[in-house]
Amino acid sequence: MPGKTLVLAEHRAGKIKSISWEAIGFGQKLAERLNQELKVVLIGKAIGDLAEEVSRRCGQEVLTLVNDHCETYTPEAYCHILSQVAQQETPFLFLMGHTYQAIDFAPKLATRLGRGFIPNCVGCQIDADRVVFVRQVFNGKINLQVGLKGEPPYFVSLQQGAFNAYEVQSRQSPRVVNLTIPLPDEVLKRKVLEIFQAAQGKVDLSQAEIIIAGGRGLGSKEKFQLILDLAEALGAAVGASRPVTDGGWLPKEHQIGSSGQTVTPKLYIACGISGAIQHLVGMMNSSCIVAINKDPNAPIFSVADYGIVGDVFKVLPVLIELAKEIRK
Amino acid sequence: MKILVCLKQVPEKDSRYKIDDLATWIREDDLVFETNESDVYALEEALRLKEKLGGEVGVLSLGEERALKTIKSGLAMGADRAFHLSDPAFQGSDAFVVATAIARAISGQNFDIIFTGVQSEDMAFAQTGTILAQLLGWPHATIVMEVNVSEGGKKARVKRELESNLFEVVEISLPAVLTIQSGINQPRYATLKGIMQAKKKEIRRFSAQDLGLESSQLGKTGSMVDHQKMFFPEKKKKTVILEGTPEEAARTLMERLRKEAKVL
Repeated sequence: MPGKTLVLAEHRAGKIKSISWEAIGFGQKLAERLNQELKVVLIGKAIGDLAEEVSRRCGQEVLTLVNDHCETYTPEAYCHILSQVAQQETPFLFLMGHTYQAIDFAPKLATRLGRGFIPNCVGCQIDADRVVFVRQVFNGKINLQVGLKGEPPYFVSLQQGAFNAYEVQSRQSPRVVNLTIPLPDEVLKRKVLEIFQAAQGKVDLSQAEIIIAGGRGLGSKEKFQLILDLAEALGAAVGASRPVTDGGWLPKEHQIGSSGQTVTPKLYIACGISGAIQHLVGMMNSSCIVAINKDPNAPIFSVADYGIVGDVFKVLPVLIELAKEIRK
Repeated sequence: MKILVCLKQVPEKDSRYKIDDLATWIREDDLVFETNESDVYALEEALRLKEKLGGEVGVLSLGEERALKTIKSGLAMGADRAFHLSDPAFQGSDAFVVATAIARAISGQNFDIIFTGVQSEDMAFAQTGTILAQLLGWPHATIVMEVNVSEGGKKARVKRELESNLFEVVEISLPAVLTIQSGINQPRYATLKGIMQAKKKEIRRFSAQDLGLESSQLGKTGSMVDHQKMFFPEKKKKTVILEGTPEEAARTLMERLRKEAKVL
C-alpha cells in the first residue's frame, strides 16, 4: 500500500506531548508495515528547534507550519492549515493523539474534507490491504471495530497510553521542511482571551500511600460517607471519579483522572467506580489496585489486582470494621 | 435568545450489556434508557440562559419511539418545544449522518446557540456537535465549563476545559455550537408542575423523508466511518476475583492485602 502517513504532533511549553510521541511511534510501525513514508506535522510560532529535535528522534521528515497566529491554538486556523496540508500531501492516514485539541478540531477538519474521523482508538489490525481500528464504546465495556470508508485520507486519533512511543537513534541530519500557508482574515475571528491553570486545591493526592476512591455507585453524598469512614479507618486519602465531584458529593480537588489528579499510591481501592478511561489514566499505575463493583464487566476490573464483584454497601461496612480491628 | 439542546438517549450508566447476534449492536431487551449525562447539563445551562436573557429553549432528539421519554423529560425540566427525528432508516448512522439530519431539521429556525453534551456515553465519538457546526458554517467551542453571552447576544465568552487542569477563555460570535462538559452546573429535577405542563408542549416529528434525506445518505451507507463489529475487550491484567459472601470476600481481601500484597 504505497503512500504516506502523517502524524500531527502537539506541543506545549516547548515540549512534544507524550501522547504525540505515542502517535509518532505507532505511525512509524504502521508506515513500515504498509511500506509508506511517514511525516510529522508541527504547527506553531517558534518551532524550528523543536522540529529538528523531533526529526532527529524519530528519523523522519518534519513539516512545519510556522505562523504568528498559531502561537495559540484555534480550531479555525488548524482546520485551514491542515486541510491544505492534507490536500498537498495526500496522505493515506492522518494520525494524532486523542487530546482535548483533537476532539476540538478533528471532526471539523474531516467534515470539511468530506471524510470521517475515528477517535480515541486503542488498537489497530492490519491484514494484507485492510486496516481496521478498535475503539471503546459503552464506557469501556465493549470494543468496537471500525473500518476505513471511502477515499483517503482517514483521520484517526489514538488513546493516551494505548500505543508505545518508540525512538530510533537517527544518524541522519534532521530534515525539516517549512510549508507556508497564509491565514485569511475569516479564520482569525476567534479571540483567545486567556489560558490559565486552575488554582491548586488543598488536597494533594500524589503523595498518598493509600487511596480509597468512590464513584457513582455510591449513589449519593450521604452514602459516600462509607468511603470517608474506610479511609479514616485505614489512615488513607480520599479520591473520587468525576461524577462524584460533578454531583457535589466531594470537592473537585479529590477528583482523580484526566481532568483531575494523577496518582500512584501503593494501594488504590476503587469502590463503585466503573472505570471510564478518563478515570483509569489517573490511577492505573498504582502498585496494587482493588476494585469493588457489582458489574463483573466494569472496565475497572481490567486494571485491578484484586476484585470483589458485589454490592459496595455490603462489602464496605465489613471492610471498615476489619480496618478498625487492624489499627487497634 | 433562541437555544436548541440536542439530547441523546443512552442505556443507563451501570447497564450490563449483551452483544446481539450480528455483533453490530447491543441487545436492548433488558436495558433501561436515560438521557445522556452531559446532555442534561447542557439543557440546564440553556434553561439558565433563558431565565437570564429571555427567549426559548428547544430540545431535539434523534432516535426511535423510546427517545420520546428523553424528549418529555427535557420538556418537563423546562424546555418549550421539541423536535423528534425518528425513522428506522436512521439506524446504524454515524455522527455525520446524525448531524446532517439535525442541520436539516432546524433550518430556518434561527437558533442563536446550539448546545450538545461533550460526548455520548454509548458510542463516545464526541463529534456530533462539531460536525453540526461545520455543516452550518458556525463557530464552535468544545468541553465548555462556563457560558456568558455578551454584546446583546452577538457574542459568547466561554470557558473551556483543557488538559492538566488548564482552562481557556475564548470569545466567539453567535450563532455557535457549544459542547457542554458535565459538572458545569447542578441540573434541576423536573417538578410535578413541569411534568404536567410538558404534556401540552409541541413535539414536531421528522422522518428522513421530511428532511429530504435519501437512503444513500442514511444509516451505514451514508456514514463516514464503517462500524463493523462489537466484542468484549480482553482483560489486560489477571485480576484475582475474591469469591464468597460480601463478608467472606471482604475478609479474604484484607488478608491478601496484608499477607500477599503487603500493602496494609
